[in-house]
Amino acid sequence: MNPDRTLPWDWYPGRIPENVLVDDSAYVETSFSFYLFRSQSPRGVELGRGASTYLGTMFDVGPHGRVKLGDYALVHGARIICDTEIVVGDYALISWNVVLMDTYRVPFNALDRRKELERVPTRQPRFAAADGTARPIHIGRNVWIGFDTCVLPGVTIGEGSVIGARSVVAEDVPPYTVVAGNPVRFVRSLTP
Amino acid sequence: MLPLPTLPANASAGPDTLITGELTFKRFNSKEPEALVIGANCTMDGVHFSLGEKGRVRIGDYCYFTNVVLLCEVELRFGNYVVVGWNATIADTDFHPLAPAERIADAIACSPAGKGRARPEIPKRPVVIEDDVWIGPNATILKGVHIGRGAFIEAGSLVTRDVMAHARMMGNPAQVVGEIR
Repeated sequence: MNPDRTLPWDWYPGRIPENVLVDDSAYVETSFSFYLFRSQSPRGVELGRGASTYLGTMFDVGPHGRVKLGDYALVHGARIICDTEIVVGDYALISWNVVLMDTYRVPFNALDRRKELERVPTRQPRFAAADGTARPIHIGRNVWIGFDTCVLPGVTIGEGSVIGARSVVAEDVPPYTVVAGNPVRFVRSLTP
Repeated sequence: MLPLPTLPANASAGPDTLITGELTFKRFNSKEPEALVIGANCTMDGVHFSLGEKGRVRIGDYCYFTNVVLLCEVELRFGNYVVVGWNATIADTDFHPLAPAERIADAIACSPAGKGRARPEIPKRPVVIEDDVWIGPNATILKGVHIGRGAFIEAGSLVTRDVMAHARMMGNPAQVVGEIR
């Protein structure tokens, strides 16, 4: 990263926000990943040693959101929608088009949702900002998540587990387990 | 900072509607006089409007779509206050016929060598999505589906059948898992 927080290799004319802590050995492909980033937290995003985020990864992080990518975690184009806390463990592999969402962003109640949607056009850039019902996501060390998978609010995935491609994870996954499907079901156990 | 595409001549958008994206109208091939009508105060962020020659898309007011793929040969109709999440796909066609022999004929008609050859009949039926529906990221809505008012389609769901108003749907194929009021 350059001293002015631009990236030498970037195609997008942006900067890495001040409250994004990037280890010297970590890699961020583009500052466009922070286009929707608006966290006020002192540690809005943390990238550990050797962590990397590639094209298509989006940190859509609200004012109180905190995202932490552990050492050697690899995020290759995930949509990270965070209003409270998303932790990705060390050595985790997150594939393309994965959605990690700790919030539904808009209220469940249709009338409240209408009020929020009426505020969206007044914001620049536009975003939906509602509501305090976010529940943290914790993805354990050495977890592998296949492409197009959605991880829903409140989910914890245990160490060493594998989530098959195109899965939807609505409930916790124990450690060292392979799950797949929409919604996911147990496939097999893994030896630690 | 995001590219603002020019609307095709047979498309219109109401006041304070924002349309962004680079490939927004790349596959907008509709010849209908009012092919795309978007209401006021909508946010169409990176939406892909892929319309065939007879495709018609209607979107109400205060809708918010993020990188949605709309594949339309007949009609997609959205009410007001509809939210569609990132990378969701909504299609009103099967794209190709089901019967194997017809599919071969279609493959030839679609190929560079098939110039001018007519394609076989392909099943297509309009999709209707009523007011206050929420569709999550990575969801898929297939042809002929009618989603009732206020329904909630979980992220990643694949919807193949009509959805009752206020139902909460999840899975592949999507099943009712609850109710949203």
